[in-house]
Formats: sequence, structure tokens, C-alpha cells
Amino acid sequence: MRKFFPVEELARDARFTQITMRESQADPRSSLVGESTGKRPKTNRLTPSRPDASDAARSLMHGIFVGEIQALEGAGRTCHDFETGDGRTTDTVPFALKLDMARQAWDEARHVEISVKLSDWMGTEIGQFAENTVLFEVACSNDPVLRLAGVNRALEGLAIDVFTTMKEFGDLAGDPYLEFCEDWMLADEVTHVKMGSDWLRRVTEDDPERRKKALEFQSVVDKIFSFGGTRSDSSESPIGLARRFRELAGFTDTEVTEIAEVSLAALEDRKAFSAASLQADATTAS
Amino acid sequence: MADPYKPRAPFAPWDRRQLPGLFDVEETARRVGNYKWAEMKLFEALGGWVATVPELDVKMRLGTHCYHHAWHAELWHKRLPELREMNPDRLTVPANDALVRFVEALTEPEAADQTIEKLVGVYRVFIPHFIAAYTYHKNNTSEITDAPTIRSLGLALQDEFEDWRDGEMMLQSLIVTADEVDRAAAHQAKLEKLMVEAGGIAGPGSIGSV
Repeated sequence: MRKFFPVEELARDARFTQITMRESQADPRSSLVGESTGKRPKTNRLTPSRPDASDAARSLMHGIFVGEIQALEGAGRTCHDFETGDGRTTDTVPFALKLDMARQAWDEARHVEISVKLSDWMGTEIGQFAENTVLFEVACSNDPVLRLAGVNRALEGLAIDVFTTMKEFGDLAGDPYLEFCEDWMLADEVTHVKMGSDWLRRVTEDDPERRKKALEFQSVVDKIFSFGGTRSDSSESPIGLARRFRELAGFTDTEVTEIAEVSLAALEDRKAFSAASLQADATTAS
Repeated sequence: MADPYKPRAPFAPWDRRQLPGLFDVEETARRVGNYKWAEMKLFEALGGWVATVPELDVKMRLGTHCYHHAWHAELWHKRLPELREMNPDRLTVPANDALVRFVEALTEPEAADQTIEKLVGVYRVFIPHFIAAYTYHKNNTSEITDAPTIRSLGLALQDEFEDWRDGEMMLQSLIVTADEVDRAAAHQAKLEKLMVEAGGIAGPGSIGSV
């Protein structure tokens, strides 16, 4: 078995269809595209009162499901791809870090189990929505510290926001089953983010340059995983920023503020990108 | 009311544990170091394979079992300093070169259509050898002086039995043609020969000598 598994070869059964981040953002069905038609509602936050709440929630849950599969795969690869050592070079990781990654693999496996059952509960079939594979790409950096920054801090941080939104959705919709499950997954994600923060600090203790590079990578991933504005403090974003749980996970106020700013910038980028796509489609049609 | 000052035997009538055991401190540390190395190789392989198997149920089980074996490795890692090995890495080694070759052959399958080979290696060869070595150790070490190792062996064995059952059931669900039976048997034979050469996960004497 090779070290470093390419994202293009992720093994899936026949039900899955994989797409890239660019393909996902160019999808004209996006709720953020409506601005140019003047029909966008005042708020885009995912709540049961939205006319498309059912489809949006099912789509998000399926996204959680495939995201958990990739998170499981990424954690497993980190157990395998690096030799056990002191972690000072990019080809080794400490034994205890590998143990944490194995624990995370188990947690993510449970999350796949939970989200596949919730999807079924919500009336969704496996493969009904496309799978964006950007998550696994982030999990495949050659430097394990970048994986921690990109996956544990950026991605799992996003998971905190997503699960908080879905938990609130379950509460508002009167669905205790959904709320109960999301709360359990949220507890795990806070642990994973904290794990990433702790290891990032320990492994780069004597290597400020490597730490800086990792934090820059996290910032890039944070912007990517803002899903083009899907997650931000703005009510235009379906998913809010879960500030309280981020604090519990070890994010500083400054870090949360930075993520909020990056998310808003991503929202504006996405709106511009969507408008350009619509314009291009209109030109082609005419 | 019973007299609290009445002398009682230090070992209750139902407690038949004995002092003698087959392994001294050094031999126990050597075996535990071999166990840790083998458990590490197993959890690393399981973690790596998750991305390579298309079957969703298998993917999830491999992720779960990955942690079980990582936890066993952690148990052995913590036991080593208690056995006077203050540098656990020194004894975290394979029992011999044949076992290294076994792990190389075990982890060779990668393609998405080789789930049977991956599972056969783990659940029909490697894990049965863990069960054998752990059972032998548990039944032959001193029940009193080596109680901490016995406790860890018991916890690990419980996982090994349950994981073996999971793996065997996954295999039975995947092996549905005569050709697949042959594939599984051929791969098992190939790996078993290497394991026989190694003498088990702790080398010759892993399960004593008959």
C-alpha cells in the first residue's frame, strides 16, 4: 500500500458521484445566486421556516455524511502515511499523535453511521447529492502539521458550525432525534479541534517557521471551507459561526474574529462568482 | 454480627491464583514490546486501507477497529516502563525479520477490488495469531506478580474476539463464488506461511512448544 493516497482514487461504491469544489460552486441551483434575480430572501440561515428547508437540510445532511467519510479516510491515512518518530521532520509523527488520529478515525466512523441513519430518517438516499472531495484533498498534505491545521482546526471547526446549525434546526423543527444526534457529534468535534490545536502547538514548539506555514494553510482552508460564504456571521449564510463552541475548542477571540472576516470575504467572492456564472450562461443562451 | 477481628486467610477460599509463572520480567517486557510493534502495524494498515475499500460497511468497521488496535498498542506502551524498560522504543520491535516480511505482504493489497485479500490478512491470519499469543501469555504468566499484564491481555482479547467475528462475517458476505473462495484461501496460505516462519507475533514460542 502506497504512502499518500491520491484523492482521485478514493474508493466508493456505484451510488456516489464525486465533484470538485469549483463544480460545486458553479452550480446555479445555489441559494446565493438569487441576488441577481432580486428574489433572495432577507435571511438565508437554515431554519425550518425557509421554503426550501426540507431540501436544504437533506442536502446539508448528505454533505455531512460524505464529509465524515472523507474525515475518516483522512484520519486513517495519517495513521499510515508517516513513520513514528519525534515529529520534528515532516516524515514522522509522534506515537501519541497517531493514537489520537486512530481515535478520531473511530469517532468519524461513528459519525458516518449517525449521518447515514439521519439521512435515511430525513428521506434521503445515499448518493442522492454529489460528493465534493475537497475535504480529503486537505487531509492529504505531505506535512502532518498542515493536516492538523487544515483538517482538525479548519475543517473540524467548520463541523462545529454546521452541527450547531443543524442542532438548532432540529430544535426549531421539533425533531428531538436530529437535535440529540447533532449534539453528540458536536461534542466529538470540539474534542478533535482541541486535539489539533494541542498537537500543532507541541509539534512546532521549536519551529516557528513551520507553525507559521501551518497557520497560513489553515487560513486558506478556512476560506475554502467557508464554502463560498455558506458559513459566516452574516444572515445571508445558511450556517452560522458557532462562537461559543469554538471557544470551548480552544480558539482565541482573535482567531474567531479572523475566521469571521475570512468567511465574509468568501461570501462576497461567492456572490461575485455566481453572478459571473449566471452572466456567462445568459451570454451563451443568447 | 461477624467479628471483624477474627483472623481470615489472605486468599479467600474461592481465590485460587498462584504465584508461579513462566515468564520473568525481561521475557515479559520482550513479549510486550513485540505485541506493541505488531498492534501498531495492524492499526496503521487498517487506517491506511479505509480510503481504499469501496464497501461502505467495511470502510466504517476498519475505522473502528483501527482504534481498537491503537488502544492495545497504547496499553503495551504504558506497560513497558513498569517492566523496567524506561525507553519503550527500544523494545518496540518486530520479533524477527520474517514478521517484517509478513507485515509487508499483509499490507501489499491496495486496489479497490482487493477487499477480500485485505480482510483475509487481518481477520483470518493476523488477528487469530494475536488471540493465540495473548491467550497463551494470559494462561501462563504469574497470576499475582503479573496481574497488570493479565488485565491488559483480557481487555485486548475481548476486542480481538469481537473484531475477528466482525471481520469473518464481512468476509463471508463478500466471498460468494468459488473463485473468491480460492482467492481468499490462496492469500491466507501465502500469509500463513510467513507467519509460521516468524513463529507467531512474538516469534518462536509465541504459544509455547507442544
